[in-house]
Amino acid sequence: MNDKRRDRRDVELDRYIALARQAPPDISGVERNFETRVMARIRETREPWYAWAWRLAPVFLALAILLAGWSMSYSPVHPADPVTMLASGTQEVALLDYLTGE
Amino acid sequence: MCALGVPVAVPDEDAELVRTAIAGDDEAFTELVRRHKGTVLRSAARFARNPAELEDLGQETFLRVYRDLRSFRGDAPFGHWLSRITVHVCYDALRKRRREEKDVSLEVLAAPVADPSTGNGPSAQLARMILDQAMSRLKPEDRLVITLYELEDRSVREVAELTGWSETGVKVRAFRARQALKRHIGGDDER
Repeated sequence: MNDKRRDRRDVELDRYIALARQAPPDISGVERNFETRVMARIRETREPWYAWAWRLAPVFLALAILLAGWSMSYSPVHPADPVTMLASGTQEVALLDYLTGE
Repeated sequence: MCALGVPVAVPDEDAELVRTAIAGDDEAFTELVRRHKGTVLRSAARFARNPAELEDLGQETFLRVYRDLRSFRGDAPFGHWLSRITVHVCYDALRKRRREEKDVSLEVLAAPVADPSTGNGPSAQLARMILDQAMSRLKPEDRLVITLYELEDRSVREVAELTGWSETGVKVRAFRARQALKRHIGGDDER
């Protein structure tokens, strides 16, 4: 009984497959001017290097703002006394200032 | 048409077009697409659910071909290489959509199917639809092997070449896929 059922299913499946083979998929709509669309997609993927540079613009802008903020808040101490300058670790600047008389 | 279902009338011209396309000639690649779009789209149509998906599969195939063009060695016809890429693109798509199709309705499977030799009963289109519905419940690798081996009537060796599986692996998968498909069509699902 079970074997017969299996056989019937094999026959049934073969019928489906045979019929499905008779109906080749219709590709006419997609096939029309397909190469034009493919080439358009390919050109999209070949962006020039400056396209990437423009995408990085926000990062560069944020970096510039950070640097500007840091440079405005930074104010190096230049004590007038050469001895204090030497002690504070700015010997070279102090020596230069001292020698040039500034 | 050759054994793998791709045109091989002018393989040397294909190889020459590949060389020219690699050198940067877009017109050469356009010509390759024009020559082979029919084969690619007919293969992909067995896996696509609608024209939009077919368009995506076709475009993805040729984008991958363009990207990997330099790896085409030319020791086999361009059409064979292209068929392998088509199969891999379709297989990737099947795996991606696997989860979406788990709950597909099988009501249509109740429709009777006639013997094709008699010419009575539902049309070939309906049979395809029913088969598509049942196949959508198969695992991606089962669907792939049924499509290539049963629907496209390729040999075990050809399926092995296209998928990269061993011939024994193809036979085993084809057998299991057929059993699973029979269960789905017979309404005897193991859920």
